[in-house]
Amino acid sequence: MSDLENITNQIRLATDYQVNKRILREKTQTDLQVPHNGGLFKVSIELISFLNSWDQDELFLEDLYQNPIKINRKELLNKCREHYQMVMNTWHVRHEEIRRARKV
Amino acid sequence: MFVMKKSAVQEKSRGVLLFAFNTNAVDYVKIAERSAQLAKATLDLPITLVTDSLTTNTIFDRVIQVDNTLQNYKPGQSNYLWRNGDRYRAYELSPYDETILIDSDYLILDDSILTLFEQEFDYRIMTHNQTPDDIWNETMGIFGLQYQWATVILFKKTEKSKMLFDLAGRIQRNYRYYVALYHIRGSNFRNDYAFTIANNILNGYNQEMSDGIPWTMLTFARGINSLTIKDTIITVKEFDRAYLIPRQNIHVMDKNYLLTDDFENFVRDVCA
Repeated sequence: MSDLENITNQIRLATDYQVNKRILREKTQTDLQVPHNGGLFKVSIELISFLNSWDQDELFLEDLYQNPIKINRKELLNKCREHYQMVMNTWHVRHEEIRRARKV
Repeated sequence: MFVMKKSAVQEKSRGVLLFAFNTNAVDYVKIAERSAQLAKATLDLPITLVTDSLTTNTIFDRVIQVDNTLQNYKPGQSNYLWRNGDRYRAYELSPYDETILIDSDYLILDDSILTLFEQEFDYRIMTHNQTPDDIWNETMGIFGLQYQWATVILFKKTEKSKMLFDLAGRIQRNYRYYVALYHIRGSNFRNDYAFTIANNILNGYNQEMSDGIPWTMLTFARGINSLTIKDTIITVKEFDRAYLIPRQNIHVMDKNYLLTDDFENFVRDVCA
């Protein structure tokens, strides 16, 4: 195989970091969803902050399907914190893996 | 004497349902067998196959034989037989209270689907789709609705779910009428369109797709050269480029690849 063919083959197998990064982020957004009390919530820093600052323990929150779900604030807050940390850690690990690989 | 009473609350059954009808070009049953292996390894649920072929593969907990007489062709490929009819019978045929109905080219590699069963719902249809490079926002026609994907439908045995599947059957039987009514491009029957229309009607002709699965399906629409998995990263090689993606469910449209030894090796690695 000539040098030119080698180079061509290598280029063909190059992977686009930006595309991989976007797919990984999309997957992470999915992983951030947690079911709770019959509803589905996406854990975000806003949701965690809100739950942390609200002064009552029982309230209704709108879920991803636009339904009002009765929640126990402390219970959901704990779940969100744990879930957020786990998903972010996984995101970081996977991101490091795809960042290292420019070619496959 | 101690008499054991039946519990008032019975555990609901849950399982995966696949349809596979072989054509002159594609052995869909073989693809379904491989897809079922992935689903079973990932979800640990029973699997039922609906087919008109014979299979002795023990990966299926149940095989339901049906007649499928719909002769259809893939859009734009008049020599490519596509026996995609009768999906509406999934409600009647499913032996489960809660069913994960998937196309055989949908590869279950994570258990994200199971989180949806923790909510109250009648059915959930895959609504958002993307390829690695683009969002797939097609409509059924120039003036048509954006369509949903029958590739993945979760349903519980409820009255509303039954209506969805009954309506989808009615749409299949009167497809030409619905093609005109919904300004559908082409006349080849598509389950995606039938279920989109049925869902649209059931929701009072509301275009808001409130019964959708709340994430995006990742579809590989081009030819695949190889799939490999290492830890939680999957490498997908197409013929001119490659992707590194986190382990997740994927929709692979290249049926020829799904029949290759390379894909068989991938399935073996995942299930190991």
